Amino acid sequence: MSDLDKAISELRACKIIPEPQVREICHKARELLIEEANVVQVDAPVTICGDIHGQFHDLMELFRVGGDIPDTNYLFMGDFVDRGFYSLESFLLLLCLKVRYPDRITLIRGNHESRQITTVYGFYDECLRKYGSANVWRYCCDVFDYLALGAIVLGTSSTLEPSFMDHSQAIEPVDNDVEIEIMNSRNEVTARFPRSRRRLFESEALNSSQPGTPSKIGPSGTGATSDAGGSLQSGGGAVLCVHGGLSPLIDSVDKIRLLDRKQEVPHEGAMCDLLWSDPDEIDGWGLSPRGAGFLFGSDIVKRFNHLNDLSLIARAHQLVMEGFKEMFDSSIVTVWSAPNYCYRCGNVAAILELGEDTSQGGVISRSNGDAGRSLQLLPSNGIPRSGPGRRYRVFDAAPQDPRGMPAKKPVADYFL
Amino acid sequence: MSIMAAPQIPNLNSLRNLRGAGRGRGWGTGGFSGPSSEEDKIVHDRIVQQTDQDASVSRLSAVEVGYLNDPFAKYFVRGEGQRRYPIINRGTYVRTQAIDNLVDQFLSHEPSQKKQIISLGAGSDTRFFRLMSAHPRANGIGYERPNLMYHEIDFPANTIEKIDSIKKLSEFVRHVEPPLRLSHSSGRGGLDNEDTIDADNYHVHPIDLRTLDPSRPPPRSFEHIEKDLPTLIMSECCLCYLAPAAADAVALYFTQHFFPSTTPLGFILYEPMKPNDSFGKVMVSNLAIRGIVLQTLQKYGSLEAQAARMRAYGFKGSGGADVNELWNKGVDEKEKERVAGLEMVDEVEEWELLAGHYCVAWGWRGEGWDGWQHVTRQFSDK
Repeated sequence: MSDLDKAISELRACKIIPEPQVREICHKARELLIEEANVVQVDAPVTICGDIHGQFHDLMELFRVGGDIPDTNYLFMGDFVDRGFYSLESFLLLLCLKVRYPDRITLIRGNHESRQITTVYGFYDECLRKYGSANVWRYCCDVFDYLALGAIVLGTSSTLEPSFMDHSQAIEPVDNDVEIEIMNSRNEVTARFPRSRRRLFESEALNSSQPGTPSKIGPSGTGATSDAGGSLQSGGGAVLCVHGGLSPLIDSVDKIRLLDRKQEVPHEGAMCDLLWSDPDEIDGWGLSPRGAGFLFGSDIVKRFNHLNDLSLIARAHQLVMEGFKEMFDSSIVTVWSAPNYCYRCGNVAAILELGEDTSQGGVISRSNGDAGRSLQLLPSNGIPRSGPGRRYRVFDAAPQDPRGMPAKKPVADYFL
Repeated sequence: MSIMAAPQIPNLNSLRNLRGAGRGRGWGTGGFSGPSSEEDKIVHDRIVQQTDQDASVSRLSAVEVGYLNDPFAKYFVRGEGQRRYPIINRGTYVRTQAIDNLVDQFLSHEPSQKKQIISLGAGSDTRFFRLMSAHPRANGIGYERPNLMYHEIDFPANTIEKIDSIKKLSEFVRHVEPPLRLSHSSGRGGLDNEDTIDADNYHVHPIDLRTLDPSRPPPRSFEHIEKDLPTLIMSECCLCYLAPAAADAVALYFTQHFFPSTTPLGFILYEPMKPNDSFGKVMVSNLAIRGIVLQTLQKYGSLEAQAARMRAYGFKGSGGADVNELWNKGVDEKEKERVAGLEMVDEVEEWELLAGHYCVAWGWRGEGWDGWQHVTRQFSDK
């Protein structure tokens, strides 16, 4: 067993690894990350995860529900650390897995992957407590600076394959018309939403443009999977993943690619916005109550997706009690992966699975967000692209402590 | 680390037999009926008494970050303080600010008229000293001491420590009239009445509220409570730890028995609410593991229930708001900007959840509550 595999198995048992090894792993991870673009290209199938926040046992539950690495290809949208009690173990495990299986896991930066925020929200204190010095915190922060700012998922399918864990059961094909499937942690389907009924999922009716209507979206056949764009536009379109959201300084994915990301998260500017902003029911841009980033409305998302040939933006950053929340005619989704956040909020968590489009023999259409590249494919009537087939797996917090030691149960703050 | 297992949190193993016991344990479900054993009762009382330290630590944290101005907070924290997370600091701020506002409205009605405040389960609350040191004059220039008699009632275990701190520090004794003698004794004994403070404007009553009984004469120290003064009674997370019947009995003791019906009375409660949604359920279970049972929470789990409670206590007017509303509507924009600038709050959704589970409720009878009526209207405009 290599040292790395040994470290992975230690960390999986929620044990910390020796400081020199942390240093080495951080160094290796940095060498990998430095080669990554600001916007990493990821091929479907992929499972997209939101905030983890040091909730190690819930991360284990996530892997149980979503499948283990390297069997499942993962994309984590940041906020690995702070708030929970096992930021170190959680982040180092993900980092080790990144070094071990670089093509099977993508890590992008959240606003908590920052020196300033970790000193307020717990990661710094945790390092100090577990190692007696701030060295490990420093190694980790150096890694933070190299994390990508976003990812773009290509080659998604507009349909849903049966859940991979269905092997024991009779495989029941998922109707091609199903756009959204929700499963619980026992691999049971709890809800399905066909494309024609996606309006059920919308937070409010469109005022300017209509979403893909059934008449435009023929029944998705295998070789002829098609949506509003016609057969030219196979699959579920490109999905941009970013921790927070959009920035008024960024109108194209290419502009993200031009940023100099290798630094502490600045207090303002495009890089800050990508990690801090939130979608909101407003028009245009608004001030964020967080004191960093902006609020952005439906019009901003739709324009951005249209200009960049995206079918969906997946982001994290905001607690949602149901684990995920689609907004603005399913043009943006929040994915939250920390159940019972801070051991206090009582929420469930979710991960988002995007399947692979096999309709073209695995050839990925390169609608990868380069501005204009596939503009000619866009429907001229302003109809937003129909999204990829989406399977949300919803899960609860892991049992607090399998050994039943209440002393391990963290104490959440209340007003007493 | 703030939220970590704090030193004041009791040894959980000693409480394991309480898990799953749920509501109704402790002081029993009804009235003054006793707990199942004397030992249980002592454990429960200790835990409730220790919630005071939790509140003190939170107050000091909010003070140190700049949310609150309270030079007295640091003297009541035993051991090292802890920096709380921003939402806890903000919650402490909003609660303090909202209650301060109601107190100020009460005191500023005919300021020359002498008034009285009774703080139930006051613990190490600093409000008396803050009022005495920084009450603005009616004309806006400078400060004056309000014409006020202030009473604090708490478990002897809590008052002893508080009195000990107060008597040793000139920061405190000079606010009491006539100024207390500074006690230099390290141990106890030497001075008369070590266990109480009975000054002209400040009284500390070491009394277990559950022992108040309308069929018996009031405790001797209650002779200092003036029955005719306009009086404000407040409970900041105090009555919620009692069984509902016991909590009601304490309130009714003052509103129906002790004070004549002609005395203008006001009542302020600060309590958790909404026990039945997912956040509320986790709150109940997390606190139960610490041995803390919010016994009135089911009965008084909403603003409507609190309003009905105020009517049942004989108050003609009532109002209330959750901490979210108190922040959104009760803090002016300029102050909000100042507070928001103190710390980066990356917990907006969590803040709304947490703040939605605490409320300040108030009720009044008699004359002199114009300010409260105004505040009530402020929060009833939906």
